[in-house]
Parts: sequence; C-alpha cells; structure tokens
Amino acid sequence: MWERTLQDLIRGLRANKKDEAKFIAQAVDEIRKEIRSKDMELKAGAILKLTYLDMLGYDMSWASFNVVEVMSSPKYHLKSVGYLAASQSFGPDTDVLMLTTNLLKKDLVSNPGDIAISLNGLSHFVSPDLARDLSHDLVAMLNHSRPHIRKRAVIAVYKALVKYPDATAFALTRMKEKLDDPDQGVVSATINVLCELVRRNPQDYLPLAPQLFRLLTTSSNNWMLIKLIKLFGFLSPYEPRLVRKLQPPITELISTTPAISLLYECVHTCIVGGMLQMHSGNSLAEMCVTKLAAFLQDPDQNLKYIALLALVKIVPSHPHLVAKYQDVIMTSVNDQDISIRMRALDLITAMVTPDNLQSIAQQLLSHLVRPDPSTALPSATQSLANVTSPSSVISPLSPSQSSAYRLTLSQRIVEICSQDTYANVADFQWYLSVLVDLSYVANVDIGKEIRDQLVDVVSRVRAVRRWAVELMIRLLSDDTFLRNAREEGSCAEVLWAAAWIVGENSSEISEPHKLLQYLLQPQISTLAPETIAVYLQASVKLFGVWAAGLSKQWDNDDLPKVKDIVETIIGCMREFAASADIEVQERAANALQLFSFVRADINSFRPRTDSIIAIDGGFETSMEDPIYPKSLLLVNPLFSLYELNPVNLAAQNNVPVPEGLDLDAWIVPPPRDTFLEPASVAVDDDLLLKKGKSKGKGKAKAKEGKAAKNSSRRGGERVVLTSSETPETPEQRAEREQQRLARLERQREDPYYIGDKTPSRPDQDDIDSIPVVHLDDMPPLPAANSAASPHFSSLLRESTTHISAEPVVVDRDGEMPEGAVLLPPLPPSQKPSRPITPLSNGASAHAPPAFPEYVIEDEVPRTGTPEPIKVVRAKKKSTPGAKKKRTRPAELEGLQ
Amino acid sequence: MIHSVIIFNTSGVPRLTKFYTPIYQSTQTLVQKIYSLINTRSAGLCNFLDAPELEDFLGRRDEHEQLRVVYRSYATLHFVFVVDASESELGVLDLIQVFVESLDRAFENVCELDLVFHFDEVHHILAEIIQGGLVLETNLEEIDSSVRHAAQARKQSFASANPLALGVGGGVGPRSAGIPTPLGWLTGKLTGVGAR
Repeated sequence: MWERTLQDLIRGLRANKKDEAKFIAQAVDEIRKEIRSKDMELKAGAILKLTYLDMLGYDMSWASFNVVEVMSSPKYHLKSVGYLAASQSFGPDTDVLMLTTNLLKKDLVSNPGDIAISLNGLSHFVSPDLARDLSHDLVAMLNHSRPHIRKRAVIAVYKALVKYPDATAFALTRMKEKLDDPDQGVVSATINVLCELVRRNPQDYLPLAPQLFRLLTTSSNNWMLIKLIKLFGFLSPYEPRLVRKLQPPITELISTTPAISLLYECVHTCIVGGMLQMHSGNSLAEMCVTKLAAFLQDPDQNLKYIALLALVKIVPSHPHLVAKYQDVIMTSVNDQDISIRMRALDLITAMVTPDNLQSIAQQLLSHLVRPDPSTALPSATQSLANVTSPSSVISPLSPSQSSAYRLTLSQRIVEICSQDTYANVADFQWYLSVLVDLSYVANVDIGKEIRDQLVDVVSRVRAVRRWAVELMIRLLSDDTFLRNAREEGSCAEVLWAAAWIVGENSSEISEPHKLLQYLLQPQISTLAPETIAVYLQASVKLFGVWAAGLSKQWDNDDLPKVKDIVETIIGCMREFAASADIEVQERAANALQLFSFVRADINSFRPRTDSIIAIDGGFETSMEDPIYPKSLLLVNPLFSLYELNPVNLAAQNNVPVPEGLDLDAWIVPPPRDTFLEPASVAVDDDLLLKKGKSKGKGKAKAKEGKAAKNSSRRGGERVVLTSSETPETPEQRAEREQQRLARLERQREDPYYIGDKTPSRPDQDDIDSIPVVHLDDMPPLPAANSAASPHFSSLLRESTTHISAEPVVVDRDGEMPEGAVLLPPLPPSQKPSRPITPLSNGASAHAPPAFPEYVIEDEVPRTGTPEPIKVVRAKKKSTPGAKKKRTRPAELEGLQ
Repeated sequence: MIHSVIIFNTSGVPRLTKFYTPIYQSTQTLVQKIYSLINTRSAGLCNFLDAPELEDFLGRRDEHEQLRVVYRSYATLHFVFVVDASESELGVLDLIQVFVESLDRAFENVCELDLVFHFDEVHHILAEIIQGGLVLETNLEEIDSSVRHAAQARKQSFASANPLALGVGGGVGPRSAGIPTPLGWLTGKLTGVGAR
C-alpha cells in the first residue's frame, strides 16, 4: 500500500477543488486507518495530515489519544509532530490531557531539543492540573544552562501560573532573578511575562520597580524598552513617587528616540500613567499632544490611527489641549479608512462640550446624507442639502455606505446629545430638529432610540413642547415617510413618538380636528401594531380637545361637522377593533364605545334657536342646560385631568404603603404543612426585613420581626403574622402635618408647579443661565407635503411669549411621590435608555394620586425634610446582596 | 498578549491559524469575517482593522481586554495578529515584519506555496518567535539559528529512522526536498514588500 504524505494530501486538495468534500472524506478514511497502524512514522504522518485538515475546519478531536501516542515517540521529528498537533487541537476540556503528565515530566529532563518542544507545547495546552503537577519542574528549568531553554521556561512558568495561581509566590522569586540574566533574550522574555502579570495585579509588583527602573535607564533594546514603558504605565497609577521618578527618563526618551513605536509608547504611558496630573505635568502634556498632533497630520495612516487612540485618553484631563486640533480630528472622521473614522468618532464623542456640540452633531449628521439623491428618501436629502458642508464630498466607495457604520454614527449623534441628561444641549428646538433629520437620513435601524429621545425630551423640557408639536405634525403629515415605513431602516418608530407627543400636547393645537385625517388615514394599517395603538389613542385625545374647545364657542352650524368627524372616527375604530393585535383591538374597542355614546348624544341633540328660547322662555330648558351637545365635554377630561410629568426612576420604590394596608397579612393562609415550615419562615423574615427598611422604622422594627419569627419557630406551628404597625403617636402626626405645610409652601414658590398663579422668581440654576442660541442656519424641515405645510404654524395656538425667550428647564429628576427625598443621581451606566415611563394613554389614565402633586426642583431648599432616620440593619446576613445594595439612606427618609 | 496569528491568502484560504486563547466561535467564521473586512480595504489604508461589526464579533470586553486586529499584506498573503492592550500597536506591526523576514530566511525567497506545502515548518518558525501568546524572541539572528537547529535535529532524527529515504521529511530549505510543484503558481514573492 502506498500511503499519502502531507504533500500528497495538499496536492490532491488542489487538484480536486470541485469535489473537495468527497476528497476529504476519502482522505479522512485513510487517516483513520493509518492512525491505528503500529508504524509510528505512518501514525505521525496521519496526525500531521489531520492537523492540516484541522486548519481547514475539520474536526480532529477524535484523534487526541493518537496525538498523545505520537507525542510520546522518542524520535525528535515525530515528537515535534505530536506536540504541534497537540498545541493546535487540545483545549481545556480535552480529557487525554491527564495522560500527558508523566510524558511531560520525562520530556522536561530529556535533551534540550525535547525540552524546548515540550515547553512550547505545554504553554499552549497547560491545564490547572498539569500546572499544579509540573510547576516545580518548570521552575527548575528557569536555571537551565541554555538561554534558549531559559526563555521558553520563563513563558511556560507564566502560563502555568495563570492556570494555577497558588504557585505564584514560590515561582516569582525565581522569576525575578531572571531580570538579571546574562542573556538579553531571557531578560526580554521576563519583561514580557511581567508585563502580563502586572497588568492583572499592579500592586503586587511595586517592589520590582527599582530593578525595572534600572533596566529602563540602561537598556538600549527597543523591543524591551517598549514593554518596560508599558509596564510602568500599569504600575505608576499605584505609586505617585514612581511618577516623579519616571518623568525625567521618559521625557528624555520622547525627545531623543528615533523609533516612533517607542516614542508613541512613552507618550501613551505618560497619559495612562497619570504623569500629566503632576505639578509639572502641563508642559509634558503639551509636548505629548504636540507629538500626537504631528502624527495626526502624518501621511502614514498608522500614525494617524494610534494618535487618535491616545488622544481619546488625554481628553478627560486636558480637553483644552486637544480642542486646538478639532478641525484636524474632524477631517479624520471624513477619512476613507473606516478604522480611522471609528477612532475619530470615539475622540469626537469625548470632546463634546456645550459650545461645540451643535457644530459637531451637524457635521456628523452631514456624513449620513447620501450623495445620491436617487436612492430613497428624497425629501431628506433636499432638506439637508444646505446642512451638508461643501467639504464633505463622499466618494461612492466611502465607508459611509456601510450600514454598520451608519448605525454607529447615528448612535453616536444621539449619544453625544443625550449624555448626562442633555448636559451639553443648550437649544432643545435644535436637538429635536436633529432627531427628526436623523430619522430621515439615517437609513438604519435607529428608530427606537430616536423615539425614546423625542418622548424623553418633550416630557422633560416643558418649553420645547410647542415646537415639538409643530415638528411632529409635519412628520405625521409626511406621506413619503408613512409610505416608506415598512422598509428596513425607515425609522417608523418615530411616528409612535410623533403621535404620542401630538396627543399628549393636543391643547397646543388650535385646530386639532384637522390632524385627525392623518392619524386615521387607512394607510396607517401598515405601521407596527404598537404605533397604531398610539395613533388611535392620540386621535381620541385630539377629538377631546377639539370638542371641548368647540363647546366654549358653540355655533349650531358646527353640528354637521361634529357629526361628520364622529362618524369618521367610528368608522376607523370599527375597522381596527377587528385587528389581530390585542393592544390595537382594545384601544379601538374602547374608543368605539366612547364614540357610540357621543354619537347617540349628538344625534339626539336638538339645536336651540333663539326663537325657541324666546318661546320656551326658560320653562322647559333649565338655565344650566348648555346650548351645545353635552357629550362634547365627555372625552377631554379623560386625558387632561392631570399634568404629564417625567417620573423619577426611584419613584415606584418610594410610594408609601397606605395606612391600614398590611402587606404581611395572608390573603389566603397557607396550609399547615410542617415540611414547608422552615421555608415559609424564611420568607416571612425576608418580608419583615424589607418592610422594616422601607418604612424606616429601624432597629426596633427589625427586632420585632425577629421576635415574631423566633416565636413562630419556637412554637413550631404557623403563626400568622399580623401587622406590627404601632399606632401613630401625636408627635408623628404633628410632624407629618408640618411636612405637609412645608411642602405646600415650597410648591407655592415653585415657578413650575402647575396651576400656580404666583409670579415666578428668578432661577439660580445654572442651566437656566445658558442663553438660548437661535440658529439662523438651522436646516429647514422636510416639507414633502408642501400643500399641507403652510397651515402648520397656523395650526398652533397663539402663544403669548416667544418660545426661545424662555429659559430652558430640563426636568432631570422626574416626579416623585409625596414625601420622597431625591436620591443621588444614578451613575450613567445604571441609567436605562428610557428613564421616564411614557404611557401612551397619558399620565391621567393610570394611578390617580391620592395625594397632592409634588414637583421636586433642584434649587428648592428642602427645609421641611425631616432628619434622616438612622436605620441599623439588625440582620445583615439574611438580606440578599442585591437588596442590600438598593437600600440607600435616602430611601429611608421621610416616609413616615 | 497575542491572541491569535492567522495567515490567509487573497481569496480567504487559511494558510496558518494559531489561537493562543480559546475563541468563542469556530475558527472558520473568524477567519472568514476578518478576511471579508480586510479584503475590501485598499492598500493605502492603515494596518489596524477596526469596524463596527468587528467589535461585536470579537466580543466587546472591558477597556483592557479590548482586542485589536493588526494586519499586514505581502503579495498574495495577509498576516493577521489579534492582540490585546498589553501589546504595543506599532510593536506588533514590527513583529509581523520579523515573522515574515524569518520565513524568508528559512525558505529563501518565501512565497505562498512554501507556506502551503510546509505548514508544519511555518508553525515551527512561529514557535521560535511566539510561545503561548507571548513574544519569545525578536532578534532575527537568534530566531534564524534556533530554527536551523531545530530543523537540523528533525532531519537527523528522520535520517536515523529512515536510512534509505532521500531527503523527504522535515528540513529547512525545503525546495531541496524536491517537490514537483506546478510552478505556474509561483508568482508573488514575499520578500521585502512593505518593509517599514
């Protein structure tokens, strides 16, 4: 039999390109035979072929035992095949690894060649067990006479330490000696290893600093210097003295070294190692930024890339230095290389301030505009034509076309504007326009984010609502947008926000009924069900506002118009009441019933003419009877009773438990099951503790709970825990009354409290001192439906003040229940993307509060806040960790 | 550390794959993904591969674990290193150059076919530069002499086991191994392209 060698296999593969699968199946069959052969040469050949096929994606795990057989061959050329196959195919869960312990032990004391390949192989497939059993043998190799073995051993010891950290203490002393090894290669390998170790655990390696510092000042090997500099970058944040000591040699390296890679690494370490925060750091920082800026303008794209990478890290501490180069950085966002664009985007995001936000966002937005007007969304291209700066000529092959990049870019635009609850946005009209523009030009799936932003901004920023309504009316009436809604990347979710905003703020619109034609047009059935539901709800709200307005100036000529509109609404609702989506169905059915009632009332309405009044003379018609159909006032109060406010994240947790509600009482007492006893006791305990905390009763309460629990355990039978509420003492009542008064006082002073007639006092908040910039070059909004657009401004009600003249107030905290104390703001990472909960049916539709509304503003001094009640958690260990974290002192205040 | 070393040609066929840490998807999809991203990049662009798709693909880890793809193209081959934050970006670029020059010394004017037919030898050379994801040696002379030593040892071992064989089996300078290669493919020479 003539067996195939690896070369034959490869040649065969090249010859059988058309039928590769068949050829490989045949080859694997041969390998299976050969691998069982007694001839080691043949077996090794088969393993080698298999390793090659493994690279092409064919499984070789079935042969792992045979790999070990080949590894154990005494012949060097076969052994190396075995170790190669092992390092390529063995993973942490390869079971034959435990068979290799003795083999490795033997190879590690064999001739230098065998030691080298076994050290190399071991570095790849070492497992915790192997590391434990072999760590002593490996450490012994650190003192081998040949440098080649020593440096391999250094790395192998490191790999073993990663898997078996218990050996660290004993291996490390020997490893440190290698820093003084006569061979430069060994020292270099040791530095590489230390670099990895230090990165994981910097504090433990601070004692090594003097030795490393000596190497830094004496060595001339650039490879090693780079690693040393990197290493000090990890170390120096933990030792301020090191920073001072490192500054001179690094500064010198920066100004003298010809090697760009070393120069870059020095600059990088200066930045990440905190060397620029020192008293003399400013000049160093300037030098670093100058060097990096030179890289930015270098024709070498690689230098551009890494310069951006390092500048991102310097921005937080020295923004003014980087800001000088904003123009260069901005051109990098336009680079043809997507790698550079990505880094430049990162940098730009870090550089945003209230001053430059608008120009940055506009420029990013202009990148999304397609240069080719024939491809989809012509209205958007037109509308943004004047935003596009002339410099951004995008080639057809530009990365701007890649949808993943467009998505990143769009997300970045939203991100820079919304970070820290719009800390950088001075002009919210501008921001809303940006969001709408984005929904037109993004052409990627970012509708959800835009929707959430629109709703969030409109809820938080009262002053911008009018403008938002105007914008949203344009969106709703844009037929092109609706027609494209089905397509991918159309951002149709924005219509959800549009309908919701228009519905919620319908009182801003002077002729709401004109909008109904857009909200109830048959084409909306192509939208997503959740959007349809909001559309339906919004149209009911609009009708309510319109009808209520109509009743104030009733004219009998309006009757046919009302009838007409009611009929239209009923017709539309009837259709959607048969929708397959439960939400749409329910909204439509609700509206249908409501409007059937309205219709009945209107149909039975007999207009009173003046003559009738004269004849009847107040005989049959009482004076209270209105002259308009009463049902006109039916709908509006359903939505407008309560003002819509953003709700604080922690509001739900702070809703006080109503008096007399005993959360511990069983609704249905559990069966007396002795087996379940311990478990249910534990649950009781938990409940009690939770209650004790949320009520802020503190130690006494917890003790009570404990006592109750103990008694239940002692008694060995079910004790139904009843309310442990102590009756309210007169002092507590007085205190509560006082709090209430204080709160009312505050509300009187609050300029933003609804329904307050007192003149507002000047604000001290710095947000309000930001002047509102009116942008002259703001992009005109898409006006695809030009026939309808002239009406829009007239659609809005007259406003007494000019909007932009009002100070912009962002409600950053949201509404909290009565008596709750504001929590410290959550770290941004914990903030969900939708911090407030917009409900499509408005705030009024859920949970009518039983207490007066209460708006917290930052600047209001909380004079009435009671002293925080100290809570000593009596039983820490029984509280689950997650709950413990959530309990903050602030939550415990003032809930009595 | 270095997480993987991959060599593939301009049609995406892998010529060497080495993974120093376990990866979370099949090696084939990883190679294909990186290939598809690199293949569309023109020559003048930078040697760092960065794309929104890639970040999700490699798994976005915390800042220190952020993986970076560094590559260099020589004639028909792309050399790709996936590294983390403890490697210097420019250093890795130089390391790729060292690797290619070592290949060139071992194979004397290395070309893609050398890598195809001597993939085991390429692994042995790589093992003299990187061990377990850490840089072992960067000095060309050192690497070259170690490679020669190991190859010599393999040759001797083979010769003593097969006294009648004629030069088949392991060994450097393997053109002497007398493979009747269809020389039509022997086009792109790797030497010295793009040396910086």
